[in-house]
Amino acid sequence: MGANLFSNYGEMVAIILFVIGFGNLLLQSNLIKKIIGLNIMDTAIYLFLAEKGYIEGRIAPIIVDGIQDMETYINPIPSGLVLTGIVVSVSVSALMLSITVRLYQRYQTLDLDEINIRLLKEGL
Amino acid sequence: MYYVLSIFFPILAGIYLLVRKEMKDRKNLLITVAAALAITAVFVVFTFFFADPRMFTLFNLTDRLPVLFKVDEVSIVFSVMAVLVFLCAGVFSFAYMKHEETDESYIREKRYYGFYLIVFGVVIALCFAGNLITFYLFFEMLTLSSVPLVLHNGSREAVMAGLKYLFYSLSGAYMSLFGLYFIERYGNTLTFSEGGVISVQAAASHGGILLLTAMLMLVGFGVKAGMFPMHAWLPTAHPVAPAPASAILSAVIVKVGVLAVIRVVYYIFGVSFLKGTWVQTVWMTLTLLTVFMGSMLAYREPVLKKRLAYSTVSQLSYILFGFSVMNAGSVTGGLLHVLCHGFIKAALFLCAGAVIYMTGKTRVEELRGIGKEMPLLIWCYTIASLGLIGIPPTGGFISKWYLAEGALSSGIMGFNWIGPVILLVSALLTAGYLLPVTIYGFFPGADYDYGNLKKKEPSRLMTIPVLVLTVLSVLMGLFPEGIIDYLSHIVIKIM
Amino acid sequence: MDFVQNFPAVSILMCLFAGIISSGMKKRSARYISMGLIVAVTVLSLCTLLYILKTGQAFVYVMGKFPAPWGNEIRAGVLEAFMAFFFCVIMFLSLEGGRKKLADEVEEGKTFLYYVLSDLLLSSLLALVYTNDLFTAYVFVEINTIAACGLIMIRQNGRTIKASARYMIMSLLGSGLFLMGLCMLYDLTGHLLMSNIKEQAALIYASGEYRIPLLIVIALMSVGLAIKSALFPFHAWLPDAYGYSTVSSAAILSSLVSKGYIFLLIKIIYRVIGFDIFNSSKIINVLFIFGLMGMIFGSLSAIRENDVRRMISFSSVAQIGYIYMGIGMGTQAGIGASVFHILSHAATKSLLFIAAIGLTDVSGGSRKFIELTGAAYRNKWAGAAFTVGSLSMVGVPMFSGFISKLLFAQAAVQNNVKMLPALIVLGISTVLNAIYFMKTVIRIYTPVDDGKYDSIRFKDMKSYTVILICFILLNVILGVSSQPVVDLIDQGLAMFS
Repeated sequence: MGANLFSNYGEMVAIILFVIGFGNLLLQSNLIKKIIGLNIMDTAIYLFLAEKGYIEGRIAPIIVDGIQDMETYINPIPSGLVLTGIVVSVSVSALMLSITVRLYQRYQTLDLDEINIRLLKEGL
Repeated sequence: MYYVLSIFFPILAGIYLLVRKEMKDRKNLLITVAAALAITAVFVVFTFFFADPRMFTLFNLTDRLPVLFKVDEVSIVFSVMAVLVFLCAGVFSFAYMKHEETDESYIREKRYYGFYLIVFGVVIALCFAGNLITFYLFFEMLTLSSVPLVLHNGSREAVMAGLKYLFYSLSGAYMSLFGLYFIERYGNTLTFSEGGVISVQAAASHGGILLLTAMLMLVGFGVKAGMFPMHAWLPTAHPVAPAPASAILSAVIVKVGVLAVIRVVYYIFGVSFLKGTWVQTVWMTLTLLTVFMGSMLAYREPVLKKRLAYSTVSQLSYILFGFSVMNAGSVTGGLLHVLCHGFIKAALFLCAGAVIYMTGKTRVEELRGIGKEMPLLIWCYTIASLGLIGIPPTGGFISKWYLAEGALSSGIMGFNWIGPVILLVSALLTAGYLLPVTIYGFFPGADYDYGNLKKKEPSRLMTIPVLVLTVLSVLMGLFPEGIIDYLSHIVIKIM
Repeated sequence: MDFVQNFPAVSILMCLFAGIISSGMKKRSARYISMGLIVAVTVLSLCTLLYILKTGQAFVYVMGKFPAPWGNEIRAGVLEAFMAFFFCVIMFLSLEGGRKKLADEVEEGKTFLYYVLSDLLLSSLLALVYTNDLFTAYVFVEINTIAACGLIMIRQNGRTIKASARYMIMSLLGSGLFLMGLCMLYDLTGHLLMSNIKEQAALIYASGEYRIPLLIVIALMSVGLAIKSALFPFHAWLPDAYGYSTVSSAAILSSLVSKGYIFLLIKIIYRVIGFDIFNSSKIINVLFIFGLMGMIFGSLSAIRENDVRRMISFSSVAQIGYIYMGIGMGTQAGIGASVFHILSHAATKSLLFIAAIGLTDVSGGSRKFIELTGAAYRNKWAGAAFTVGSLSMVGVPMFSGFISKLLFAQAAVQNNVKMLPALIVLGISTVLNAIYFMKTVIRIYTPVDDGKYDSIRFKDMKSYTVILICFILLNVILGVSSQPVVDLIDQGLAMFS
């Protein structure tokens, strides 16, 4: 088990980062910190994917010298997934940020609990 | 075809009344209602004679759950009782609802008749229901369509009572639905058939869970019949309705609970499966408890309509006790008491309603001298009361005789003598809570001021229904042979 | 390849393009495009459904030139096509039923955006329903979230912005977990297409290796989707989001968006993990228990609620609980019942939302219970529709809710261990439902004596009434002749595997 963990340290780091990000997104009450948590979480997943897709000693699957052997190249799909994932996460972060801006303009605070209290006062 | 007519004609007529724009002429309204009631009665009678007796499938709810109707003797007994009571109470309400004269109350009256007709149709449907799912379907509809009758005057008290009624009934219905699931799995069919539908293998392998199911269904359907653990809604909900509606609730709608129990015990589970099990013991205990408790509570209750409602609780459990003993005599007695109690309780509630309508008095001790003011009505009341107590020659005597005799000969340890004793004690209590009205009514005591005495006999529209119901109950006592013959046919079939 | 096989892909693309085109249009035309689009997609889905029923088997449509293990695919079976059809119908009715309210509540210049968002939402829902590729599913899950968030936020007030923030956060947590699960599954099996993953997963499971990672994958995916569809402990965002957004959004969110995720979960169970492998994991018990808890606590919160819209929202929590209970039952019948409940709840809940708005409109715009007294007399059709919806929710025969309860119970009696808890909770929840729905119905039918509302007359709007009637009919049809639908579901589930 220990050796397993050590040889897969990339994945371990990714998981730890994922948990950190997840915790931040879940537990922070500050919206900006939440968004940072979201980004850490997403990045952790990309790290995980990239780590899985990379095979020691192989190169990117771009044919330059005519070698068509499968053993030479890494699996390109995880890299593609990472790219797609980044696009998704960028758009989501943008939306979150815009919501945050709206809330800030209305309540002059980034704290969700604080906003809750104000809302109760408004009695809406 | 006749099934559809006799069930959906009143329902559609009721819906028509409900959605119809304000009908300014009260006479028209009453004629419509009277016509609808009469035509339905004719259809029901036609159904007895001409409908295909096997069954009629309306549509399929799902593949295995058809909605179907059929007529058998039990349906005939119950539907005759229902039709008679509905006709009488309907005529009575023509007079009773008159005192509401504003526009608002006029709309209310229209709504009342609308739901009255819907309930009528649904009750007929329940009598003719040929399988459990149909029964359940209309059972729920009955609850929903009769709640507006309870809510009639819109007061806070009425709303609370209506809600209470609704929740008790829905919880009860759910308990029985619980059973439906199991029977669908372990039974041969959901169609009511004499002697039960539980297959022998299922009874052997899943006997325990099926018994539990039976108990749940008994308690669940027993809610409608006001059986002990779930009886509390009845004394709250019945009295707040207008008197003719109370009569319907107390005489007919609670009987639907009884009908449900008959269907479950004799047509789904079968006597042979349930007899001698813990379910029977628990059930008998519950009914006896209810008989006694209902009478005691009625005895202590000062408001006349509430007193009558408690009395319903008690009397209904007489009937249920008859069915729980599960032998020929007691079942005959139970069926007979269904009819007796239907007529008598309707007559009593209508009397109470007439008294309220004429004098506005609701409490028993206010009714001193009432017999001098409206002698005909109180005579009817007295005769009906005697019937409920079980004094010959009224119908109540015969049904109670059969009940007690059935219990005595049942040979179930303990119950064969406790049962009759409780029935007897409860009969005495019945006398104790019903007769004071008569006694104070006719013998108001020496200090009663005869100078103020005015004849207040209510209009014919009120007295005739009461008279008819009373006469019916007496006739049943005088000429019981035909009915008993008919009932014993049923008993032989289902035992 | 038959021409009909293009329809699923075409309808997804049509929605996407319609969204793009109408973002450049004026308000009116955006609405017409959107409505026309929905009608077109409805027709296309119906054609697909009939086609599949005729041929008797599902078909796979290859997107692009790459064949199975590498390319992207769309797969259409009976259930997929039927879901697409049904979602479109509900979407149309909800949008049309809330149109007047939308015009009142959203700034004049922004209403066309609403239709852009709804087009996007529809496209993502269709993609979720049809796709055969897990990663595509993930991408459209996110698009769905973004569109839904926009639908909540389009009505600008503090509550909705906060609600959408919370909605986003919960959704992101859910999709994060889902994505993580997806990546792990990809590592385990080396595939992204559902059918290929399933073959590999079966091999892996049979070999006995990697049992724990597989379990983790199942857990991540089901919890992620459960969070997104507001299963009980994760439902905190729901009442605000449904309760304060404009009414079409509430109807669409409650009846379509969360259902889309659940449908995806069911697809994953059948088409990715494999029904038996999923059943043998302990996760199914967790879903079952959360479902049961949701049924009770959702109803309890609804009873305490004093605001009609929020009450209906809490009732959604309970109904989602039903669906997860069915999934957690671990039988074919249980899942069938869940799918039926997806339909019946979608039909009922959107009806309730739309009807509730008619009632509050004639009560001075207040949503408090006490103000609703007699509202049914002021707006007859809304009252009738609300009553029908309530009866259906309570599970009265003749309405759709009864059939789903019946199916749930039939499924429950097949599982000896889960039978009693399921039936008991079903009973409790029925009674609780009855308490708050019947309370409301009686309240709206209690006449008011003073002339407080005489001035307020419901502005007669034909389309609104027609929509309500359609909803009522839908409910009654599902309740009375459910057998064809149940057969369709069974057939569709059989096609899944």
